[in-house]
Parts: sequence; structure tokens; C-alpha cells
Amino acid sequence: MTVEVSLSRRPLGLGRVLLYLVLGLLGVVWLSPFVIVVITAFRSEADFFNYGVFSIPHSFEWRNLLDAWEIGNFQVYYRNSLIVSFLKVPLGILIASLAAYPLAKMRFPLDNSIFLLFLIGLAVPIHVTLLPVFILIRHLGLSNTLWSLFPPYIAFGLPLQIFVMRGFFKMIPTELLEAARLDGATELRNFWLIMMPLAKPALATLFIIDFVSTWNELLIALVLLNSESVRTVPLGLLNFQGQYSSQITDLNAGILLSILPIIVVFLAFQRYLVAGLTGGALKE
Amino acid sequence: MDLLEVSKGVGERLAEREVSRASYMSRFLRKRVSVTPYLFLLPALVIYLTFLVYPAIYSLYLSLTEWDGLSPQKKFVGLQNYISLWGDPVFRLALRNNVIWTVVTLLVPTIGGLALAVALNQPLRGRNLFRAVFYAPGVLPLVAVASIWGWIYNPNFGFINEMLRHIGLGSLAHGWLADYDTALPATLVTAIWQGIGLPMMFYLAGLQVIPQEQYEAAAIDGANAWQRFWHITLPWLSQTHVIVITLAVISSFRVFDLIYAMTYGGPGQTTQVLATWMYFNTFQYYHAGYGSAIAWVIAGISLLVTIPYIRLMARSQQE
Repeated sequence: MTVEVSLSRRPLGLGRVLLYLVLGLLGVVWLSPFVIVVITAFRSEADFFNYGVFSIPHSFEWRNLLDAWEIGNFQVYYRNSLIVSFLKVPLGILIASLAAYPLAKMRFPLDNSIFLLFLIGLAVPIHVTLLPVFILIRHLGLSNTLWSLFPPYIAFGLPLQIFVMRGFFKMIPTELLEAARLDGATELRNFWLIMMPLAKPALATLFIIDFVSTWNELLIALVLLNSESVRTVPLGLLNFQGQYSSQITDLNAGILLSILPIIVVFLAFQRYLVAGLTGGALKE
Repeated sequence: MDLLEVSKGVGERLAEREVSRASYMSRFLRKRVSVTPYLFLLPALVIYLTFLVYPAIYSLYLSLTEWDGLSPQKKFVGLQNYISLWGDPVFRLALRNNVIWTVVTLLVPTIGGLALAVALNQPLRGRNLFRAVFYAPGVLPLVAVASIWGWIYNPNFGFINEMLRHIGLGSLAHGWLADYDTALPATLVTAIWQGIGLPMMFYLAGLQVIPQEQYEAAAIDGANAWQRFWHITLPWLSQTHVIVITLAVISSFRVFDLIYAMTYGGPGQTTQVLATWMYFNTFQYYHAGYGSAIAWVIAGISLLVTIPYIRLMARSQQE
């Protein structure tokens, strides 16, 4: 802390000016695609084609967003993605937490092998399961429904989620559980009333990471869904991009709609997101 | 005589083993193996075994068959599909593209992410804003990233060509994604924009662990900034290197969304990667056995690269 204060009071040297310059330039390059998307999404098509990407917009237009929402069917894609995200994400995390609890706090035959079995899932690419999952889903009669996404999404979320929850549960003192066990509490009660409330930070982190990756997922959805009414946002955007490739302002409105929830989550929960992505990989 | 002794020895050993097995069993029996932990694990195990483990193994079997993905008949052909891969020019091109993708990912976003992390670990004004700006593209849906860059590269009114015309380099303007020579580099530029944030964040997390005294001591000894970076920062980050490099390699071999949504493997087949070639074979050309073999090439590379990382993870939670 003291080091930081003394450094930031240091006068600007040539090195630091250069550093700011380089970072500033890179920052502009990194930010410009976002800026172009927002500007283009809110200008009229005529304005765009007359004056080009670089010009300052002469008009402000809500029409593009409305077009994308209604004609471009983003209202349907949003509904589907929200249903999947808000049902599947908590369900998956609950299932992972249930599994992580005995793996963290009980000893039983095969405990370590089961943990390792789950961890190995991190090495299995989705690609290798697509066709068998497609066949399974057909046998289950779930073809082309939103529900078909749930089992593979949950299965592929489990390895990281069990790893993170197990690590977190392990840090909770076992004495808390033993006291409750002596009072005759069942393990399910312990799990629900002691472990889960204490694990709120880990749960919040996992919720946000999993929301983002669920919202963004393309490959499984591409294989399992094929009709317009069940498309999620990435599939919808893919379709929209094909149809509106020359109507640039509408296209950008569609892009903006598809990234808006992620940007909001990112700005609101950046801390959790970063802690989850980096801390999930290793204990700090 | 000999035989007797040998058989006696064997008998003794068998008896010993019996005893040790009995004590092993009784340890659990005496404590009465509780079903509770298994009940907690049941939902996760059922879903995991049904929708991840079983499909992965089944597709390994499918990769040994000739099958269109629809008909009831599967013809077992052994390793034929894997042998055919080497005679398939598109597969070799795809593999080469994945290797290029890996090398570029290791060189640019990984080293760039490290550089940004070191820069943004200093007490700079607005460093949190900078971190957010570099990291933000990494959380976007890849289809959206592909759409954004698809029109940035647009031949007629895309950002890049407009800019080139503005600065008098209009002759360079063309359809970047439609050109055989520029399509792959163009997707790589997008991948760099999208991918620099994650390694940066990992390195920033890693940098927090390095004790400040190390730098102070080195500074007193007269080490310059470069020497301090080389002899303190880099070695202290060794665990982070493992994570970042592992993730870079596996994500490079799994890349699908960006290629599928930006170029669809084209023009011609120039930007085909293993994952897209797997997808086209399995789900569009009805070469399900062959597609499964490509999928298993990806899985094999992925398993090989990830196992050390998983061991590191498992060890980090050992008590």
C-alpha cells in the first residue's frame, strides 16, 4: 500500500508517458469495435450509407432495435435464452453443489476416484459428444426443444462447478457440521441450512460464469435445435447475420441486442467474473 | 520338496491377502457403508455419465465404424477412418490451421496478455478501466464477435476498408474474409482481440502472489527492470504459465464458433479447422464415423494437454 502511494506521487517520467501512450492507443483499438456497433445501431440506414462508418451520425434511430426485436425475432431468442439461463444455471449449480458436499466433507469408498472422474471432464471437448448426445436426445423424445439443452449443458458444467464448490466447502470448518450432527440433524439439513448459506460467494461467482457461458453457447444448440421458435440468442444472431448482412444498421442493432445482457452482467459483476475465471483454476 | 515349499509360500501369501482383504472389507462393514454420500452424488453422476462419459466413449466406437448417422447399419472398419484422415487434404489443412492458431495464440495474446498484466499491475491512473476494456471482448458470445468483425472486414463499407481509403491506401481495400490469403489471418486478428483478456487476468492474479520484498532486494542489488522481470516475475509465474498455456492450446484446438460464423470454413476450404471439418462431416455430409474420428483427434490432443493441468488442480485441493 505504502509503495503504491509513493509510486503514484512520482513525477511523470518519459517511460510512464510512453506507457500511457501505448496503453491509450491499444485501448482505443480494443474499444473501437464496441463504439462502432453502438453508433451504427442507433443511426438510420440512409445516414450510414451516405456518410460512412466514420461520420458522426446525423440522426438518432430506435427503429433498428425495434426491427431486430420484432421482425428479426430477437424477442423469441431472448425468451429462449432467458428460460434456459434462469432455469438451467441454478439447477446445474444445485446438482453440482449436492455432489460437492460429500466429496468435501465425507469419507466413503471411491470418494477420490469419483472426484477425479468429474475433473477429467474438463479435458473432454464438447465436440466428441455431439452426435451421441443428439441420438440420446432423439430417443428421449426431446428433439428440437429447449429442454434438450439442459442435460448436456449441466453435464459439461459439472466438472468446474464441483471443483469450485468442493474447494469452498472444504474451507468451511467441519466442527460446524459435527455440532449439528450431534443434535441429530440430517445431512440434507446440514447441506441446505449450513453449507449452502455459507457458500454464497462461491455460488454467486458460479452463477455469473455459468450465465455468461450458457448465454454464449453455440455448438450444442446448433446441433440440437433447428426450428426458429426454439433458437437461442447465438443461433438467432447467426441466422439474423445471414439475412441482414447488407442491412448494416439492423445488423448492428441485432449484435447490440445479443451482447447487451452480457455487457450489463460484465459491468455489474466484473469482480465476481474475474475471481471466478481465474480463481476457479487454482487456489490463490 | 521345492514344489511343496512354493505351494506353501503361495498358500501363505493367499491367506495373508485374504486376511488383509477381510480387514479392508470389515473396515467399511463395521462402519456400515452409508448410502448418504452416494445419494448426494446420484443426480450429478447420472447426468455426467449419461451425457458426457457415455457419449464420449460411444463416439470412440463410432469412429471405428463406417456410418452415415441415420441408417440402422454400422459397419465396423477398425482404424480405417483414422488412416483415411491422412489422405484427406482438408483434414491436413484443418490440422495445419489449428497448429497455426495455437502458435499465434501462444505468441500474441499470451505474451501480450503478460505484457498488459505487468503494465496494468503498476499504479497507473485508470488501470481498472484499461483492464475492463481489454478483458470485455473475452466475455462476449463468439457469434457476436464474429458478426462484429464480419462487417468490420466488409469489402464495401466495412471499417477497415473505409479507413484504408481515408488514408490513401484504398488499393489495399478488399474482402478480407473472402480472399484466400487474408481469410485466416483476418480471423486470427479477431481471435487476438477477443482472447487477450483472459491470459491478462490470469497473469494479474498471478502477479499478486509475488512478494514485494523480492523486487526491493533485487533493486538494492542493482538489478534493472528487465533483469527483475526475467529473474523474479517470470519464475514466480510458473504455475500461471501452466494454466495459460494449457488453456491457449486446448482452446486453439477446439476453436469452432469464430470460424463457423465468420467464414464457414471458406473461401474454398482455406479456413477449415478440425472442429468445423468434424461438424460438416458428421452433420452435413453424413460421414458420422469419419466425423467421430476427427472429433477424437481433437479429444486426444485435448486430453494429452489437459492431464498435467488437472493433476495440478487436484493437488491444489489436497488437504
